[in-house]
Amino acid sequence: MATIAVPLGAQGEQVEAEALRRPALSEYLRWSVDHKIIGVQYGVSAFLFFIIGGAMAMLIRLELWTPELDLIVSGAAYNSLFTIHGTIMIFLFIIPMWAAFGVPLQLGAKDMAFPWLNAFAFWLIPPAAVVVLLGYFVSPAEAGWTSYPPLSTLFSGDGQTLWALGAHLLGISSIMGSINFIVTIFNMRPPEMTIWRMPLLCWAVLATSIIAVMATPFLAGALTLLLLDRVAGTTFFDAASGGDVLLWQNIFWFYSHPAVYIMVLPGMGVLSEVLSVHSRKPVFGYRMVGLSSMGIAFVGFTVWAHHMFTSLQPELRIPFMITTMIIAVPTGIKMFSWIGTIWGGKIRLNSAMLFALGFLSLFVIGGISGVMLAALPFDIHVHDTYFVVSHFHFVLFGGSVFAVYAALYHWFPKVTGRMLNERLGQIHFVFTYFGFLFTFFPMHVVGMLGMPRRVAVYVEGFQAWNQLISFSAFVLGFSTFIVIYNVIKSYYHGPIAGANPWRALTLEWQTTSPPPPMNFDDDPIPFEDPYGYGTEASAAYLAVVDEAFSNGSTRASEH
Amino acid sequence: MTSYVDRQHKAKLGQPSEADLRLKNNRLGMTIFQISWIMVFLAMIIVNWQLRFSYSEWPPAGIAPFDPLGPSAATVALLLSALLVKRGLQALRVKRIGGFLMDWRGAMIFGFAFMAVIVYEFASVSDAALATQYGITMRLMTGFHFVHALAILAVMAHVIRNGAAGRYSGDEHDSWAVEGTAKLWYFVTLAWILFYVVLYWIR
Amino acid sequence: MQNRPSNTPSISPAAVVVAAVFLIVSVIGINWFTTFVPVVLPEQASAESKSVDELFYILMIIGGVVFFLIQGMLLISVIAFRARPGDEGDGPTYHGNPLLEIVWTIIPALVVVFLAVVSFNIWTQNTEPKAAINMVEGHSISINVTGARYAWTHQYVTERFDPDGNQIVINSGPELHTYIGQNVDLTLQTQDVIHSYWVPAMRVKQDLLPGDPTRGGRPTQLRFTPIRVEDRSYPARYPIVCAELCGDGHGRMQGAVIVYENESQFLDQFYEPAIHAILNPPADPILRGEMEIQNYICNSCHILDSLGWTSTTGPSLNGVADRAGERVPGQTAEEYIATSIWNSGAFRVPGYDQQMAAFGPDVMEATNVMSPEQLYSIVAYLCTQGEQSDCDMNNANVAIPDAIQTVFGYEVDITFGMDADADAETPDTETEASDDSE
Ligand code: HEA
Ligand code: HEA
Ligand code: CUA
Ligand SMILES: [Cu+2]
Repeated sequence: MATIAVPLGAQGEQVEAEALRRPALSEYLRWSVDHKIIGVQYGVSAFLFFIIGGAMAMLIRLELWTPELDLIVSGAAYNSLFTIHGTIMIFLFIIPMWAAFGVPLQLGAKDMAFPWLNAFAFWLIPPAAVVVLLGYFVSPAEAGWTSYPPLSTLFSGDGQTLWALGAHLLGISSIMGSINFIVTIFNMRPPEMTIWRMPLLCWAVLATSIIAVMATPFLAGALTLLLLDRVAGTTFFDAASGGDVLLWQNIFWFYSHPAVYIMVLPGMGVLSEVLSVHSRKPVFGYRMVGLSSMGIAFVGFTVWAHHMFTSLQPELRIPFMITTMIIAVPTGIKMFSWIGTIWGGKIRLNSAMLFALGFLSLFVIGGISGVMLAALPFDIHVHDTYFVVSHFHFVLFGGSVFAVYAALYHWFPKVTGRMLNERLGQIHFVFTYFGFLFTFFPMHVVGMLGMPRRVAVYVEGFQAWNQLISFSAFVLGFSTFIVIYNVIKSYYHGPIAGANPWRALTLEWQTTSPPPPMNFDDDPIPFEDPYGYGTEASAAYLAVVDEAFSNGSTRASEH
Repeated sequence: MTSYVDRQHKAKLGQPSEADLRLKNNRLGMTIFQISWIMVFLAMIIVNWQLRFSYSEWPPAGIAPFDPLGPSAATVALLLSALLVKRGLQALRVKRIGGFLMDWRGAMIFGFAFMAVIVYEFASVSDAALATQYGITMRLMTGFHFVHALAILAVMAHVIRNGAAGRYSGDEHDSWAVEGTAKLWYFVTLAWILFYVVLYWIR
Repeated sequence: MQNRPSNTPSISPAAVVVAAVFLIVSVIGINWFTTFVPVVLPEQASAESKSVDELFYILMIIGGVVFFLIQGMLLISVIAFRARPGDEGDGPTYHGNPLLEIVWTIIPALVVVFLAVVSFNIWTQNTEPKAAINMVEGHSISINVTGARYAWTHQYVTERFDPDGNQIVINSGPELHTYIGQNVDLTLQTQDVIHSYWVPAMRVKQDLLPGDPTRGGRPTQLRFTPIRVEDRSYPARYPIVCAELCGDGHGRMQGAVIVYENESQFLDQFYEPAIHAILNPPADPILRGEMEIQNYICNSCHILDSLGWTSTTGPSLNGVADRAGERVPGQTAEEYIATSIWNSGAFRVPGYDQQMAAFGPDVMEATNVMSPEQLYSIVAYLCTQGEQSDCDMNNANVAIPDAIQTVFGYEVDITFGMDADADAETPDTETEASDDSE
């Protein structure tokens, strides 16, 4: 793309690869308390789980090619397939994915507040993953990622116990990671960075972490009860002994609805960064964008029973419909502010920007279908159908995963010191965007026409639709290979990025790529406004930064 | 780039020292952890309440309510123990290591007295009560609390050993372990009081 | 540095053109969207479906506006505000506009308030209890639905009585029979896990929740009123779908709503014949068993070729009588079959989980319990399923009641006898798979 700024480091092309000061690959396989190592460990392992979960999705789509049960041996095996697909995607991919590399860097901090805890939280994930996957191969959980009892208590095998154990560990990991983020954000900023000068990614991570520390304990509580019911003979969910099946639904969703914002808010933070930098314009309504994250976090705690519209007592359904609809307001503020951000800017349509715009375009569809689901009489019809499957893939893939890709293209140079290939990035975008659209948009229709979710056999009339969906899903799956290839190739051969290839103002760009062990060789001083593009002051600031790092120098203070 | 903003400005703002920062982090981290973890206890209270709805009376018909006498005594013991922990921490702050050790040993004795009563109560739930959620949730809550109390008592024992070995001067910076443990014990106390009220007094 | 901030707002004439085009496109687009309403939803077969679809229509319009607004502005931005080649400058430094921010907070807030009010009205209108429910011949009867893995059972508790003075209960299996204009009010109960009763054409859905049977369970309600659908011939058939994951056979857990044109068609084609069959059961237990077994949900799990059952969740029943005698030492084939139904957990066919509901009075809720006669006739029928039945078919009128007695553990009174010369052999049935009972 001709319009893209020539990376600053390009002038320093002569900089040898060794000068990148990259950690050896083996560092990433070991215990380390450096948040940059841990960030990569989180990111790469989460992406690995994305591929495993994605491969399972491919099997799901293959099975749904025909209306009969053919590829997969039984209904139960199919059930365990989507159970583990959902579990991996939610608990092992999207929630850990956001344990961001970037937060301490953006804050100008040397590390997280509790480096050891950071490492510990990460290292809980591999054993948890082993437990969950072991469960899958032993005697799989087949009650869906939502694990409603009594199906998950009285009627399923030991894999369900392992599933609960694994989810428990992941919950604890998530709580510890979040405590760390909150403390880091409150205490580790340089004195010049007041809370109103904090980058919006940090705002989003703050809101996310607050949700996680308040909500995840409820998951822990629910899973404890589930485990006790399964192994210790208690009867919390066994109606025949005075237990209550809705108890699980209430507690689970009291966690899991806020958790959907855990999955998307960091992505929204990424979007604020990427849109502003690549359209060279300040974030429109910075304060409202920051505060609306808090608004979403707060309202998010009052809506959980919209997942229970067909099981809750009818009188209680209305209040949850109302709270649910209210969430559209703070989310709308964000959407419009982002449009305001790019409007009138000088948009560079590079891969990071494409994925960020893709997020906007797809998330709004998921949001609209969310509001449709919130409309109680309509939800009664489409609850537990492919309409819902479509909704949450739009917000989770069209939203969160697109933000993951935007973040990848945006921060890859910072993490590795090399640029990703632009052209491949754009091809990746085209395949992903259209593959996605044609996979998940038609699901709305099959859902409304009467196809329930979580079935391996369906009415013949839906076959044409499902074949379209499956075909597009394979295209979508294929697109993943492009980015994998791009990442591996660019890691070794990409152009040297230099400190600040995007000429961005936030602090992570005021150090070398990749940053030195303590992140900054000197105490960094944030520019007065993290998004103050277009002013003389910012131009002067960038010029200083530019000069400081231009000769491939690694120390800003040498100047 | 350092020349861009006046360095003096920074000195004026006064950055905390490494040690101060660590203490500040620990304190905030502990507070957030406590806010977070109390949610699990609240979740169990909600469980208790929601299960009550499936019964027309509580305790269910034909089940004798738990006698609050023993638990009340235990609660007093736990409160005393928390007070002693607080007094011990204050003693440490004014460098009276002996007073600190004595108060904390006392706190542990009261703590164990509390636990003994709770174990007794746990064990003596009638079979009839156990056939209903009345007994099951009681065991859930006391058992869950017990696990936490036991873990923190173990930490307290460890801290006392370190204290006896002269590891703590009383300065805030080298005695975070003591402060943190004290805060955890207050947490256990608060959590128990919530459970105590719900289990024995709210019918 | 090439970094030249430019402060000129850059709304080009191109943007104006695009905006105009976008306006036109969105008006046409929304119109086009809404023409899809009948295409993307099933027929409107109930009064409720009309109002739900109206809501959908409103949602489509509002959603369409939001959709085209956002996508349109994105498109305009990308086209109009793309940096020109070689332009390394920054955009204008706008930090925000409080008025605009207030506007885009208030308008969506008003929109969702409007949506909430509309939804609320439709909801109260649709769920209002109706005065005359389940009217049949001027009586308001109760219709109970039972969900069990993996089948639906419908029961009509009629206002008629048999000669002994017992209320007659029609069991119509997976089919709900109703007629245009009847205010259907179903009471739903589950025997095991959560199921969800969904009739897409009626736009209604309700979960079935396990409850404590000793305290009346936890029945839930579902209400709708069938209406006439143009170009439909009656009786019309609409699928019932299970919408809550309930296990292996969740996808196969289906049924049908049969809507008759009017009450007299309903009475003639369903109600009266059903009551007649109950009042005059076939005297031959085998024939009666063939009728009875279809009132239960056995078809949801088993294969039985003679009745066209195809489910593989449970062991095949083809040729069950050939194997029943050897399954458990010391038990006759009759006893084995009867026990397997009465207390399904008693034996387990290798390779199958215990998933079957028991039909004994002590085990599960009353709706599913078999009377001794029913069990008798079903055993008699299953005894015919084999090439050379292990059952003592020449002596069936003694052997089977004896077996039933053994299973019950107390004296039972079976009020009809078996034709001594009942022909035991039925020609069909291949033998494969294992055995009944799980
Ligand atoms: C990242 C995850 C994520 C996000 C962000 C959301 C966002 C929302 N979700 Fe979604 N949801 C899920 C993940 C998510 N959801 C998952 C995983 C499930 C299924 C779980 C399962 O059963 O397995 C689910 C299910 C689900 C249901 C239950 C469906 C059912 O089972 O019957 C409902 C019902 O109300 C719902 C509603 C909403 C709403 C109202 C929003 C809102 O936050 C959306 C707000 C956004 C917008 C509205 C767009 C932008 C706004 C504007 C441009 C302003 C103007 C707009 C208007 C005036 C309309 N969701
Ligand atoms: C972040 C969350 C996330 C993500 C990213 C995805 C991604 C995908 N999901 Fe996922 N999905 C869920 C979360 C997610 N899903 C959840 C929570 C459920 C509910 C589970 C439940 O009901 O309990 C669900 C359920 C679900 C269903 C419904 C199953 C059912 O109800 O019967 C379907 C069906 O099509 C589906 C499809 C897909 C597809 C095609 C993708 C694709 O986007 C995936 C594309 C990615 C890849 C393909 C990775 C690339 C792979 C490779 C490079 C390996 C190559 C291998 C092969 C090509 C074989 N998902
Ligand atoms: Cu019954 Cu699904
Ligand atoms: Cu939700």
